[in-house]
Amino acid sequence: MTEKNNQSKKAKKNSGLPLSIIAIAFVVVVLGGIWLYNTSSKPRTATDANRAGVTNAARPQTAPVNAPSGAAVGVNMLGSPTAAVTVEEFADYQCGACASVHPVMKELQSAYAGNKNFRFIFRHYPLQIAGHDKSYDAAAATEAAGLQGKFWQMQDQLFRNQGTWTGNPNYRELWAQYATNLGMDVEKFKSDLAGLQTKERVNRDISRGRALGITSTPTVFINGQAVPYQEINIASLRRLIDAEIQNAAAPPPAAPSNAK
Amino acid sequence: MNEALDLTETSAEPIAKMPVLASLIAFVGLADSVYLTVKHYTDEPVPCSLIEGCEKVLTSAYAAFAGVPIAAIGAAAYFAAFSLAILAAFGNRVAWNLFGLQAVIMSAVTLWLLYLQGFVIGAFCQFCLVSAASTLGLLTVFITSRVVSR
Repeated sequence: MTEKNNQSKKAKKNSGLPLSIIAIAFVVVVLGGIWLYNTSSKPRTATDANRAGVTNAARPQTAPVNAPSGAAVGVNMLGSPTAAVTVEEFADYQCGACASVHPVMKELQSAYAGNKNFRFIFRHYPLQIAGHDKSYDAAAATEAAGLQGKFWQMQDQLFRNQGTWTGNPNYRELWAQYATNLGMDVEKFKSDLAGLQTKERVNRDISRGRALGITSTPTVFINGQAVPYQEINIASLRRLIDAEIQNAAAPPPAAPSNAK
Repeated sequence: MNEALDLTETSAEPIAKMPVLASLIAFVGLADSVYLTVKHYTDEPVPCSLIEGCEKVLTSAYAAFAGVPIAAIGAAAYFAAFSLAILAAFGNRVAWNLFGLQAVIMSAVTLWLLYLQGFVIGAFCQFCLVSAASTLGLLTVFITSRVVSR
């Protein structure tokens, strides 16, 4: 009995050590997390998407025009409406990967500018997840810019400066600044941003994305076929698009001819 | 009965090797999850040096559950696993049994997340794979300890 009591006392005495190890590990992890947060939460300046050189080099030679306001489907489209190949991108303005592939999309638009077989459609797909609290507003902001013919330019601003505005509580003021820089009527921009018309256009894209079962961004379709994320680079996209253009251009199988 | 539920009760037996190994693996998983949680809230791109698709996975609709990042849920689970493993290392058998139960549940969730990455999202995230390896490592250690003790 005494031996059992002694063992029990020894065990109780021992219980302090594991709890101390657990407490120390907890403190280490919390402090590590705080340190990481403090070093991470600074605005990004040098990601691929934000490097001015990359984006400027990829910018199309001619300023693309937005779809006319009030257009039946309200799509943001570049290229020929009757093109054989449609590239459709669903993206979120607070998604880092979307900002990363933005220069690729710009390069693509530039490469096929003037090609009657190519058209590019951008769809808003703001994700409703933590850290994406301004995505929907950002989409509406590009639509508000689109009402003044500056959709693509504002989109460029938002992707290039993603790290600046995404963590800024006065992000709307930054957007107003971008609108000013783009030569827009800022009061109209603010009013349109708050209005229903822009939200309706964003909602329409979201509905389409949901109907297609999109779960993440960026998602890119070429003629309705989803492109694997690994293939969202200029070489692979051009290969896929060129193949589609060739398919469309190929004449239907002809009857055997005797002409010689 | 009360004794069986007392997680602070430890024996004077030598420190068990398997729970120590489990605690080290759990700590790796914990550090990985905390890293991903912080990146989630700061909305910073996660370095993706080995494979492509980290951002696609981490910004997918599956990256959060009921508004809570999966990484944060993972961090809580790894901390619980670490704590149980440490208690078990000092001889607490109840803690080791609970650890085993938790490892099974975590492994099931991990397999589901791997399925989502491979077949639904179509991309993998290397930090998520580290977490998956950690969880499956925890289960392996627990099963090994059971086999060895027979």
